[in-house]
Amino acid sequence: MFAKEFVVNVDNCTGCNMCTISCKDEHVDSSYEPWSAPQPEIGQFWVDIKQQERGKQPRMRMSYMPTFCQHCAEAPCIDNCADDAIKTRDDGIVWIDPVACTGCGKCGPACPYDVIFFNEEAQIAQKCNGCAHRVDEGLLPRCVEACPHEAILFGDKGTFEQENNSVLKPETGADPRVIWRGLPKPWIAGCVVDAERDEVLSGATVKVTEVESDKQLELKTDEFGDFYAKELEVGHTYKVEILHDGYEPTIRKVALETDHDLGTVILAGF
Amino acid sequence: MVKESKKTVYVSHPASGLARSNFPLETHVSDDKIIRSLPFHIPEDVRLYEIKTTSRGTYTRPRKEVQMPLAMAHKQRVHSKNRVRYPMLREDWSPEQPNTSMRGISGYKRISWDEATDIIAGELKRIHETYGSMEPVFVQADGHGHSGYMQSLHFWGHYLFDMIKRHLGWGSWTQQVRNPDSWEGYYWGAKHVWGFNGSLGEPYQDAVWDDVLEHAEVVIFSGCDPEATGLGMSGGIALEMPKWLKKAGIKIISIAPDLNYASAVHADTWIPIKPNTDAALYLAVAHTWIVEGTYDKKYIESHTIGFDAFRAHVMGEDDGIQKTPLWGEEITGVPAHTIKALAREWAGKKTTLSVYFGGPKVRGTLSHLSARMEAYVLAMQGVGSPGRQFLRIGAPSFYKKDLAQVPRYPEVDFKGLALNPMIEYAIGHAPVSPSFVPRTLAAEAILQKKIEWKSTTSALAKTEDQFKTYQFPPSPDHPGIRMVWNENGSQPGSWGNGWKWLNALRNPRIECVVGVHPWLENDLGFSDLILPAQTTYEHNDLVIVQRSDILGMFYQDQAIEPVGDSLSDFEIHRQIGLKLGLEEAFPPAEEWLQKAYEETIAQTKHGIGWDEFKERKYFIYDSPTWDEWVEIKKDLGFSERGGGMSQFWETGTGLETPSGKIEFVSSMIQKKDPNNKERPPVAKWVSHSESPDQPKSRDFPLIVMSNHARYRFHVQGDDIPWIQELQKVKGADGYMYEACWIHPVDAATRDVKNGDILKVYNERGTVLVGAFVTERIVPGAVSIDHGAKMDIISLRNEEVDRGGCINLISPTPQEKYGDGEIKIPEMNVTGFLVEVEKIDPTEINDGTLGSLAAQ
Repeated sequence: MFAKEFVVNVDNCTGCNMCTISCKDEHVDSSYEPWSAPQPEIGQFWVDIKQQERGKQPRMRMSYMPTFCQHCAEAPCIDNCADDAIKTRDDGIVWIDPVACTGCGKCGPACPYDVIFFNEEAQIAQKCNGCAHRVDEGLLPRCVEACPHEAILFGDKGTFEQENNSVLKPETGADPRVIWRGLPKPWIAGCVVDAERDEVLSGATVKVTEVESDKQLELKTDEFGDFYAKELEVGHTYKVEILHDGYEPTIRKVALETDHDLGTVILAGF
Repeated sequence: MVKESKKTVYVSHPASGLARSNFPLETHVSDDKIIRSLPFHIPEDVRLYEIKTTSRGTYTRPRKEVQMPLAMAHKQRVHSKNRVRYPMLREDWSPEQPNTSMRGISGYKRISWDEATDIIAGELKRIHETYGSMEPVFVQADGHGHSGYMQSLHFWGHYLFDMIKRHLGWGSWTQQVRNPDSWEGYYWGAKHVWGFNGSLGEPYQDAVWDDVLEHAEVVIFSGCDPEATGLGMSGGIALEMPKWLKKAGIKIISIAPDLNYASAVHADTWIPIKPNTDAALYLAVAHTWIVEGTYDKKYIESHTIGFDAFRAHVMGEDDGIQKTPLWGEEITGVPAHTIKALAREWAGKKTTLSVYFGGPKVRGTLSHLSARMEAYVLAMQGVGSPGRQFLRIGAPSFYKKDLAQVPRYPEVDFKGLALNPMIEYAIGHAPVSPSFVPRTLAAEAILQKKIEWKSTTSALAKTEDQFKTYQFPPSPDHPGIRMVWNENGSQPGSWGNGWKWLNALRNPRIECVVGVHPWLENDLGFSDLILPAQTTYEHNDLVIVQRSDILGMFYQDQAIEPVGDSLSDFEIHRQIGLKLGLEEAFPPAEEWLQKAYEETIAQTKHGIGWDEFKERKYFIYDSPTWDEWVEIKKDLGFSERGGGMSQFWETGTGLETPSGKIEFVSSMIQKKDPNNKERPPVAKWVSHSESPDQPKSRDFPLIVMSNHARYRFHVQGDDIPWIQELQKVKGADGYMYEACWIHPVDAATRDVKNGDILKVYNERGTVLVGAFVTERIVPGAVSIDHGAKMDIISLRNEEVDRGGCINLISPTPQEKYGDGEIKIPEMNVTGFLVEVEKIDPTEINDGTLGSLAAQ
């Protein structure tokens, strides 16, 4: 069971949407029996890049998450299908049999990842089927083939390193089988400045302490006075101490919900 | 003939155009239907290059050549509803009664090719008999179009009229000269500092990556966004190169008004700047260096002239204003402490500056001052020294003197590809016809009695040309423009003040407008006669892979039957030529292709004959090994890891400036146009009519920044449903509006929320857009990409564009000069003033351009 696996490297994705369009190129107006019926011309995104605009000016970046069926081992869509139309192949690909599907519409709402679409015209549910027709011919799924940055990978189980792996929403118990790397975790950022001299303070020490655990991270501001304390946890509270020789230490407290920018932090001289 | 099941065809890239391509699509066709297009994989037996560094590893490219979404989505456009399927004649046009005011409004009727070519032959004869030459015919044939070698080329109008002149003796036509639209600031500005005529004012890129990857510590992305338009112009390599920088441990600093697509994922630091104020930023950076003594004084002494005058200006010795970081902050919005930090980082680390195609930085009013100033600050840090280069991301292969940017045999560059000589009509050294008008002044050439301007605006003209005066019409008794020949369809969406251009097309003096295009869109809907051109799927052609780091040629087989009665662009002009008796000038396409191929080293050196080439479908050139490359470089005077401007750094001479050196005081401007306040002998920060400190900004307080779109290519592909899904904002009325990025602060003061429909307006007119509220654009500016497809409707009794074609309301260079001489006919299509207002969707009365219902 589950001979194949997908890996998504969020850090590699530039949001170019070549995956999205390749998927449409493959599936719109084309059927691949028994695995899939044609995707409608517009409106379905079997692979959909979820964008996250992170931070505030000027400390920003974009994180892109190409999201598609997670091919769960305990797929809630299968459990909720009235017709046993959703099946798992030996290689792990979960597919909706377009002939067996009666369009009851129960699978979509059951999916924790919101990746099942309803085809009004054909009255069937549709989603990523891992390009089963290509995989059977030893080819890569179209999204993988199209990606310029190895942001989506596909191969035999065990091909990819298993370190730093995670999955989307593990708490649902669906046992998703797409491996995710680099899932965005929030940062605390800011710029340290001596306002009197109107100079950034490069090399200032920034100590970030997680209040709940006392876990501490220490970093230095860069050439632009900026710092990013990365890979923090949502819902945790952090104490940020900014220290620099000749200046009064400054302390901020942040209850972290999303990327947090302290803005320009002005240090006062002694 | 092509109705067979399941075949694979190599189809040229749909967008980059100009007779060359990236790697083609590998398109599967079955029963006359385009099934899918896959990326091409460079075969294992083709040797790829390796750039070897001493301690930062080896760099190459993947064999997989990815395609931009537009390329795959293009199949949706082949049969789109606005495809022109048959020759179409405007129903209320006749030579006697052209009803010019109805252009863009009235409908069309289908006619045959024979009728169409008869009408054209008749019109040309009539014009010749009435006016004595072909000069009243204004030929716009210089657009990107599709990327086939000849069949889909948009230059044939010039060739046709050139042949009419030579063989029929009907005299010259009026040539629209394509200005250096992707290089504007460098062409009008930086050329006066360092020359580089062959690459339009940007330094040659010979072997530049060898130097950058070996030495550079910081690369500044100065408005550089290879993720936008990247795959259209350079193929996958434009996406690969930023990753090389990351792998080499080079820090990327992005300076731009927007967190653009490349910066959003690659930049370590983003410095947001108000649009088109880079000149002021550079002045303030120079101030810091001068005060702190951190510039390359020896280099200034030996490699440049006129620095003292620049230094005096920076320090306020000439105008009493020191260009301090605080002064810079006022203009640019970049905090003074950040400007100083940037200056110190730049001086302290080996810093290269990088750009990409035609970003907004070089396409605003007076952006030549920014580009010139950029050359100054690069010179202050010894440009050409190891790790300090000017770097053009991507792989435009004409960006060289002797060598490609990456290891490539020079003979491949110079003799490896069939390069279509028609390029001279569009991107040439000088106009081919003695009667010509710059593309930036097309509307004025029709609407004004007379225009006078400096420069031919030819892309490859020498700098001296910028001081020569030209005029149209050439004499007072000249009939002026009476007919327009439009193969581009991109004037209102890519050039300035599109509304003015549309008005020009409706001018009663314009007796006939001929459009040649596959789609009825943009100004093509203002034609009297539309000739249906094919897409690249519908004919055989060569595919010349020249917009890439690896070069090659492909034979493109016809993939599907032509749509309707369409013909290739070449064939359309050939049919007209045949009707005029120009058989000799128009041999069949296959003969051109074979001849062009047989002149390349694929045949002459590698011995692959035409038939064999057509059989094997492609020939891709090997790259040299690193050792071979080093030898090639040595013969041309480059050290092992030298490149870019390293030879100038070593010798301090040889530039294409009068002094051969970098000129802070331009000796040519000093001599020929010393009192030009907009382009003085020493570049300065100059406020202008579209600056936020002008009185006009009370009514129009926001600045439009207009970049290339990420998913369409200029005006191409905006109507493709898949592309629309990616880039449009769906309004409450269900319409897909062009996105307008607006900062939360500006949105709040106008009560604007995500998805609201906005009117963007100024004294030139109004376009509608959809709000995208984001921190990715600086406050005080809105970002609206150019090239959205026009969709004219009525709003509050005004003709407005629902399509969001922002160039309809951008300036033209003429505005600053009135009836006087246009001293710099620059393309200033970004960085201009507007106001934005939320509108209620129920106000919009639906109504679009003339339809193709008659088909």
